[in-house]
Amino acid sequence: MIFEGIFPALKRRDVLLGAAAFLFAPKAYAEAPSRIAAVDWAMLETLMALGETPVAATELIQFRKDAIEPAIPDSVIDLGLRGSPNFELLHLIKPDLILISPFYTRHQPALEQIAPILSVPFYTRGEPPFEKALTAVTALGERLGKQREAAELLAAIALRIEDMRGRLAGFAKRPTYLVNVGDARHVRVFGADSMFGDILDRLGLPNAWTDVSRYTFAAPVPLENLAVEEDARIVIISDIPVEARDGLRNSMIWNALAPVREGRVITLDNINPYGGVAAGMRFERLLSTALVAHGDAG
Amino acid sequence: MASKAWPLSAFALIAAIGLFFYGADLRIPLGQWSAIPFDTSAMSMDQIILVYGLLPRAAVAMLAGAALGLSGALLQQLLRNPIADPSTLGISAGAQLAIVVATLFFPAVLDGYRSLVALSGAGAAAAIVFALGWQRSFEPVTMVISGLLVGITCAAFSAALTLSQGEYLMSLVTWNGGSLSQQDWSVARTLAFEVALGAVLALLLVRPLVLLGLGDAGARSVGVSLKWIRLAVAVLATALAAAVAAAVGLISFVGLAAPALVRTCGIRRPATVIATAPIAGALLLWLCDGAVQLLASTTAESFPTGTVTALIGGPLLLWLLPKMRTKVIRASPAMAGRRIRSGLSYAVILAAIPLMVILALVVGRTEEGWSMLNTTQIADLLPLRWPRLLAAAAAGGLLSLTGAILQRMTGNPMASPEIIGVSGGAGIGFAAAITLAPAAGTLELFLGAGSGSAVALLIVLAFASRKHLSPERLLLAGISVNSLGSAVLAALLAIGDQRSWQILAWLGGSSSTATSQSALLLAGLGVASLGLALLFCRWLTVLPLGDGVSRSLGLPLRASRVVMLLLCGLTTGAASLLVGPLSFIGLVAPHIAVVAGFTRARDHLLASFLLGVLIMLFADFGARTATFPYDLPLGFFAALAGAPYLIWMLGRRP
Repeated sequence: MIFEGIFPALKRRDVLLGAAAFLFAPKAYAEAPSRIAAVDWAMLETLMALGETPVAATELIQFRKDAIEPAIPDSVIDLGLRGSPNFELLHLIKPDLILISPFYTRHQPALEQIAPILSVPFYTRGEPPFEKALTAVTALGERLGKQREAAELLAAIALRIEDMRGRLAGFAKRPTYLVNVGDARHVRVFGADSMFGDILDRLGLPNAWTDVSRYTFAAPVPLENLAVEEDARIVIISDIPVEARDGLRNSMIWNALAPVREGRVITLDNINPYGGVAAGMRFERLLSTALVAHGDAG
Repeated sequence: MASKAWPLSAFALIAAIGLFFYGADLRIPLGQWSAIPFDTSAMSMDQIILVYGLLPRAAVAMLAGAALGLSGALLQQLLRNPIADPSTLGISAGAQLAIVVATLFFPAVLDGYRSLVALSGAGAAAAIVFALGWQRSFEPVTMVISGLLVGITCAAFSAALTLSQGEYLMSLVTWNGGSLSQQDWSVARTLAFEVALGAVLALLLVRPLVLLGLGDAGARSVGVSLKWIRLAVAVLATALAAAVAAAVGLISFVGLAAPALVRTCGIRRPATVIATAPIAGALLLWLCDGAVQLLASTTAESFPTGTVTALIGGPLLLWLLPKMRTKVIRASPAMAGRRIRSGLSYAVILAAIPLMVILALVVGRTEEGWSMLNTTQIADLLPLRWPRLLAAAAAGGLLSLTGAILQRMTGNPMASPEIIGVSGGAGIGFAAAITLAPAAGTLELFLGAGSGSAVALLIVLAFASRKHLSPERLLLAGISVNSLGSAVLAALLAIGDQRSWQILAWLGGSSSTATSQSALLLAGLGVASLGLALLFCRWLTVLPLGDGVSRSLGLPLRASRVVMLLLCGLTTGAASLLVGPLSFIGLVAPHIAVVAGFTRARDHLLASFLLGVLIMLFADFGARTATFPYDLPLGFFAALAGAPYLIWMLGRRP
């Protein structure tokens, strides 16, 4: 089941072989942490992608709604909000490793008193995030003694992206806007410095938004800013808020945008915009499927 | 003054028009405007953006500005208060909270009934603030402080709800900031209808309203029903503010600035002020929005227009301050009220504190439900529980002590730590630390928030000690600094990234970041401050009796106020560093102390401190267990303790 979350199509035989290899693994694995708590969502994904289920993780209600993949088993204990995880519960669970990212530096002293921590950066201003997510796979793999799994995962991801790059080549003629609808008048836009923008680039598809990402609390980009590239397609990532649906449907400017008028709008299911490899590959899979199904290549 | 103001207004008008046509010209050169077809389907994208984006945006800016200007002018005339407007009176914040709640629990209602939702929130907030002001005959400072408190409550609830829902509520922040961008004429049409209706009603009400200004007796002799006129004007002003809130979100301080601008131009007659303030408001918001669009087209950053108008609020209040004739506030009746033997009351509080501590330490909640912990579990969890309990208790004590000092010092029962501006300063400092150092740890945040509160304190001190340091000036200077603080924070939230989330978390307040060292430090500070404050007992006994009495008793008025203000700044700063800018504890605990009979200065300070400790112990327990395993913001719980008290206070006769 190691890669199942990321590559549902992966043959079951390969997975079994992997599991068998794990059973006969050298002694070094015995010292690897086994009770892992994931405070950071990107780390949670990365851990699951390496085939390890944590004992506890944060904000699982929201994670299941926003990130969807990987599916988190019910056995995983919910640690509360990411911003203020429940330290007492974490203490009672007695993990032997806590996974965080530099966003949680504020809590680092408190967490260190409970268990050793591993902090890996995912989102650093000005650095492509997918590369960081890949580095995180290696770092976590080393820490868990799963170097081989990590290497296999990275190889599989590289292969998949290379493969899809070839298959999606026909879609590269049009630039793509990657947006998330905030309200009926504003969107958030993903540039090359975002996870989604990084993957779009790796798939060889040009991003219609050449500026930096506009993904903040506020949805800062008014709709008319999407009018610059008339030939573009618009990919809407994650559900449109209920209260914005009618407004957007009736919006004069939205309906006048060339991609909307000419039916080049694709909507994808919820994906965590601050995720790790799993979120990245979920985006790749949903996008490729939607593009092929929509078929505006010609 | 007046002679300078007219050219300035003319310049503002030219600048607003210039900015609009500059922006429009970038889209379609002016010469080609006549070629725009009437049929939408024949328009090019640029033409559609001009006709359905830029033009309605300018219209909405002017209409919203006019509505706010009219609302502010009506409120100022009604209350005879030059600093009243929908934002200072908490009306806009009430509308905002209503929209947040609706988005969360009834999103479908917002589609189509947005105005009604905003109106219900604005109406409730206005009702509370007016009821609070009633007891002190709508005295300006009390009104604004009540408005601020209602605003803080609404913001605390909004932040807690936002946090509890994760990123889904992100779009609300844009709403809060008040973005004016438009995609068609629907908003402009609705707003135009509402403003026109408001103008007609204002026209009908203006004569009786001006007569009210002549004094109750004069008005009654002309046969005006005072009660109904006042109510009608208040409802109209609230409805106008709610209409703007529903259409474009929170636009602060335009209602404050517009009448002030008109008066600076030399217009004094009340009816003329009410007639011209909407024009000034329209011009002001149009100009601000033009500047925002220019900024967005020339730099990468785009701000919602509302955050920009919010930035002018603080300085504007400071500028208006010397122009205010505040009434001298006499000692609050409660503070000189009945006195009972305090021995028994002390015994009750002192017994309740250990009970609360034991409850907090022994009772646990797990996924199975509530349970009593056994001794091994208690010992196991003690290292985690005592720091946050101690920190929360110390913060509660510090804030309550500060509240008690401020209330005695100013003789105003609405004074509390948020009001001297230190919490706002701490917030800016915290935000700056996060922005400058992406991976800021406890030390950086501590330094950031600490220096922020110190700077805020310095500004308030410098401003308030310039002339003679009257308590009202002091409170208003604090409010100004605070509103500037929250405006900066809102702007940072609008441009920030995932860090904004950290700012929101801190705003809610959480004691879980307390370590054993910081808890001990805070507790030590609490005890030291209490001791120091008790030394000032004589001052604090005399000060509520008023300036005259104090001076005749040989009190160094200025020095005593500066010393105590310094103490208050330190305590508030330290407490908010650890548990966020909590509201209400500093207001509520000293009040309860007075009601319980602790009226002498020494008893008042000591009992407020102890009550603050008790309330915060309870709040921490509640925040930890109510929605286990999700820790609720501590500030949310503290506000829950304070809000009902505020409303209960309304029922009491002065």
